[in-house]
Amino acid sequence: MALKKYNETELLDLRTGGVLKQIQKDYFILRTRIPGGHLKAEKLKKYAILAKKYGKDYVHVSTRQGIEIPWIHIKNINSLLKDMKKFGILKGACGPRSRNLIACPGSSVCRFGFVDAEKLAMKLDKVAFGKEVPKKFKVAITGCMNSCAKPQENDLGFQAQGEPEVDLDACIHCTLCAKVCEKVCARGKGQPAIVMDKDKKPVYRKENCYFEGDCVRVCPVSAWKTKKVGFKVYIGGKVGRFPRFGTEIAEFVEEKKIPKIIEKSVEYYKEIANKGERFGEALDRTGLKKAKDKIL
Amino acid sequence: MSDIKIDQILDLKGVPCPMNFVKTKLKLESMQAGKILEVLLDDGEPIKNVTASTKEEGHEILKVEEKNGYWNLIVRKSR
Ligand code: SF4
Ligand code: SF4
Ligand code: SF4
Repeated sequence: MALKKYNETELLDLRTGGVLKQIQKDYFILRTRIPGGHLKAEKLKKYAILAKKYGKDYVHVSTRQGIEIPWIHIKNINSLLKDMKKFGILKGACGPRSRNLIACPGSSVCRFGFVDAEKLAMKLDKVAFGKEVPKKFKVAITGCMNSCAKPQENDLGFQAQGEPEVDLDACIHCTLCAKVCEKVCARGKGQPAIVMDKDKKPVYRKENCYFEGDCVRVCPVSAWKTKKVGFKVYIGGKVGRFPRFGTEIAEFVEEKKIPKIIEKSVEYYKEIANKGERFGEALDRTGLKKAKDKIL
Repeated sequence: MSDIKIDQILDLKGVPCPMNFVKTKLKLESMQAGKILEVLLDDGEPIKNVTASTKEEGHEILKVEEKNGYWNLIVRKSR
């Protein structure tokens, strides 16, 4: 096989495209990405082939829903990248770029999910991944308040939520909805969003609601239904050496607005941050008001 | 409501989650469609979890009622 000469773009691609130096001389780690963490079993087999052929017959599963293959010798990088492309395995990011967008399974299999977060993440990979930024930029999407994909720890996080409504004609007066609601609300706002009136009918107080849907799940006759689904939006979250939780900037944002919000957040991050600074750190200087105006 | 004819009774007082649901599910599987099962459950997590899970499995819940200190869940087995 004739050796291929690499042009400038390809060299840049090589440097930025998820090949990291290992602590050991001449060895590198290949970082791949799996949007939404959804990986076909067939493709998983390809990972096994690469790990056997180029690495030491094991992989490292990262916390960012990627698979890394360590122990790639420098002289094998090019042919590894070719094989990888052939297999349709996607490269991860390192350096000053946006990272793999992570997601929980959401309603694809989870009984708590309001949206199919996994599928949504796969669709959003194009918008969210690999953008040049001052430091790094991470996006997470999670299917409900349980926050399994940790939207508050990412530079930009989306958390699905659902507003419930009750059909009193269907109610069989079991009081279970008020019981679960009391438990949810006792941990936060104190006041429950559902109280039973004297005829054992539920009365809903939206201002106390957490929109996590426990009432919908528990109601034995499905008198409670989810009326509206949307997303809470958090910005500026990070962990690292100086952790900072993301700040909530919006509620019940429609799914179709997400791509624009990602684009605008990346744009605004580039506008306000110094080189090497994370979004949250920059936001601490510039304030939330302007950020909301620009992003939402 | 008092005219519901109960075919089987399962006393799960003192049985923790998720074993209470597993036992409910196995019991329902052993019964014919349309037959009615009464399950006795503890207050708190047991009644909430078993109710939600039994509904998710597609069975029809006819009644949920608190008796002194425990709960009655009355379910009609689906197909
Ligand atoms: S965040 Fe909610 S929907 Fe997503 S996996 Fe966790 S519990 Fe399920
Ligand atoms: S979704 Fe709202 S009303 Fe329903 S249980 Fe949760 S807090 Fe209560
Ligand atoms: S859980 Fe459903 S049936 Fe029971 S009181 Fe609430 S609305 Fe009525």
